[in-house]
Amino acid sequence: MKLENGHISEHSLMFGVYCFMQASMLRTAFIVGVTKNDSWAMAFTGLALALVLVAIYAALLRRYQQKNLFEINELIFGNVLGKVFSALYLFFFLTIAALNARDLGNFAESSVLPGTPLTAFILMFLMVCVYAIRKGIENMMRLATVLSFVAAGALVFNVVLILKNVNIEFLKPMFQLPFKNYVQGTVTVAAIPMGEILAFTMITPMLGKNKKAGKMMALGLIYSVISLSIIMLRDIVTLGPLLGIVRLPSFESIRYISLAGVMTRMESLYAVILISLFLFKTVVLLYASVLGLAQILNFKSYSPLTLICGAFVLFYSLIVTKSAMENEEWGASVAPFFSLSFELMLPVIALATAMIKRMLKKKEAQQ
Amino acid sequence: MKKSKKQKLEADYFKTTKHRALSAARRLISIVICTALIFSLSSCWSRRELNTLAIVLATALDVGDKPDTVKVTAQIVKPGGIKASSTSSGGGTAEKAFSNIAFTDKSILSALGGFTHITNRRMYFSHNKVLIFGSELAKRGIAEGMDTFTRNFETRMNVYVLVSKDKAADILDEEIELEQMPANHISELLENQGLSSETAIVTVRDFNIATLSGTMAPIAPMIELYNFKEKKKARLEGTAVFKESRMIGELSSTQTRGLLWITNKAKRHTITIDTELGKIDLIITGSKGSIKPYRNKDGTIGIKLMVNAQGCLEGNETEEDLSTLENIQKLSELAEEAIRADIESSIKQAQALSADVFGFGESIRRDYPKEFEKIKDNWDQEFVKIKPMLEVEVFLNCTGGIGKPVKEGGG
Repeated sequence: MKLENGHISEHSLMFGVYCFMQASMLRTAFIVGVTKNDSWAMAFTGLALALVLVAIYAALLRRYQQKNLFEINELIFGNVLGKVFSALYLFFFLTIAALNARDLGNFAESSVLPGTPLTAFILMFLMVCVYAIRKGIENMMRLATVLSFVAAGALVFNVVLILKNVNIEFLKPMFQLPFKNYVQGTVTVAAIPMGEILAFTMITPMLGKNKKAGKMMALGLIYSVISLSIIMLRDIVTLGPLLGIVRLPSFESIRYISLAGVMTRMESLYAVILISLFLFKTVVLLYASVLGLAQILNFKSYSPLTLICGAFVLFYSLIVTKSAMENEEWGASVAPFFSLSFELMLPVIALATAMIKRMLKKKEAQQ
Repeated sequence: MKKSKKQKLEADYFKTTKHRALSAARRLISIVICTALIFSLSSCWSRRELNTLAIVLATALDVGDKPDTVKVTAQIVKPGGIKASSTSSGGGTAEKAFSNIAFTDKSILSALGGFTHITNRRMYFSHNKVLIFGSELAKRGIAEGMDTFTRNFETRMNVYVLVSKDKAADILDEEIELEQMPANHISELLENQGLSSETAIVTVRDFNIATLSGTMAPIAPMIELYNFKEKKKARLEGTAVFKESRMIGELSSTQTRGLLWITNKAKRHTITIDTELGKIDLIITGSKGSIKPYRNKDGTIGIKLMVNAQGCLEGNETEEDLSTLENIQKLSELAEEAIRADIESSIKQAQALSADVFGFGESIRRDYPKEFEKIKDNWDQEFVKIKPMLEVEVFLNCTGGIGKPVKEGGG
């Protein structure tokens, strides 16, 4: 029984990872609060940690060709325990989907559509997500290529326009904070935006008999890290010490752009791109949940579940945090550990079990 | 056989009617959905039409009449006024293109709320360009104003901050001729200051960055009214110096110039040199200033200031040919002397106020963070003691359109 018959190219996967990561532009406030003017470097140290995660996922995917994460779980742990593991992942995907929808909702509520009820905005947003999944995730993955270039182009555009108002001196003094802060920054970057690419392990079987899943995920990650560090560098040299107190550093630095009285109000461009990127990210997360749920319940098709999962995410996103302050507090303290337990701990357990099983099998064969 | 054919026909008939009914239902549903979707095209939930907005271009904050109150004055665009004054050419009093409204209350935001009692339109601050503090309020503290105007999502951080010598509200009533709105006049006035480099241009962001650094004293340009042909007009003059968000003193135009030389903000400036032969004008066309901390042999930190300027000889009252290399060398030395005098005067004033307007502390923190930790707590005393090394270099690279001076029988 195969639930998904679509095919994607390896480049689509790479650009998909890039888009997925770029949607986290909003979340840089979590990191800059901790590592201040050295945050740009955290993108690279975080990458080192995130590549370890990707290596683990790649190892799992290589062992079980053309299987997604939930199928692998059942193959490793058997029917019952496998489903328990899958349910845990399902909870994780739904939670980050809800958190992302809420993040975007908060952003829209405070700065783009003030006065529009949060529910109305998230409802519309999730309806588009559900529609996209019902029309096939492979279309969305193909769209990722275009979206990547638009996002990267907008970033270059914004950076060039703000250059008039920056002060490179804000980068100094480099690396003077306590070592603890850098560890926290690295773990946060690796866990919150980067590790979430775990959701792509539900999509990789669509590559067909291609072994390059891990490589493409890593490549997408590397490109997005370059973008992320450019974003943070731009924010640091534009805002300086203000970086520590603003809620949306990227938004504020783009708002500052004013070139010849014509090139102003660039944040509308930023908002449009951000919403498209969030759409992509939420679609991937929602798709992973829907496909996973269909597998756990042994459905023949996942499409009846999309609307249900979408509705679930809507209500979940409304209760997942009470306020922007709570969201931030959670993001800075608990979130890395919460995320890492799903992104690191569970896959490591799966991989270790798979290796032990194979060793036992070999021994049996020898005997 | 016949019967079955008939039956088949009947079945077909029923099929098609069923099909028709279904497709009609489908069509009805889709029409209903499409109609419902039209409502979502009415865009933003809380849409605000242009004719219900009061677009604020400038805001002035003053001390209120009653104790512990603040008076907020907002300059609102009057679109009808713009049209009237541009078509009526000369003669008659054209309708003003703006309207100033004011309200006094306990805080800025409650005063903004109070505007609803006096105007039918909703205040819209996204296009606010200028934020002026009255000096009386500035001396009491502007922390509330800066926080409010930074925090709000409607206002921007590239708003210019100014301090008026008298009431800030009066500045918004200046009688202007070329422009239609004082707000535009003031903001464009600031944008042109690069031509003389005697006024610091400060935005909300710049002010906040200086405040947040802890050691740096924020500054803001000062604006005042003067009488010209019985009309009140605004002009920029000097700089206000803040400490702990209170205005503690002023820099004169000369001292501001000195500040701009070393903080790399000076662009163009005309230096007039009095020699025994007559006056000579040098125009500085570009300048690069930097503050470089260095470590002394005994471990203490010193400050080195460097200014590197290029300029042209643009005016010569004398009969001397000043374009010879020898004379140019002498002139650039005189120009260096003039710049040095500006800088020394500004440092003297800043140390008298014990306010680090230049960011010496910041530059030490950036280059020698460990040493800075030790002197951070009593930076005010340290700053007063600093005797910076000064290095000024002026390079004159042209003499305008002519070489020798215009003089009698010179040709």
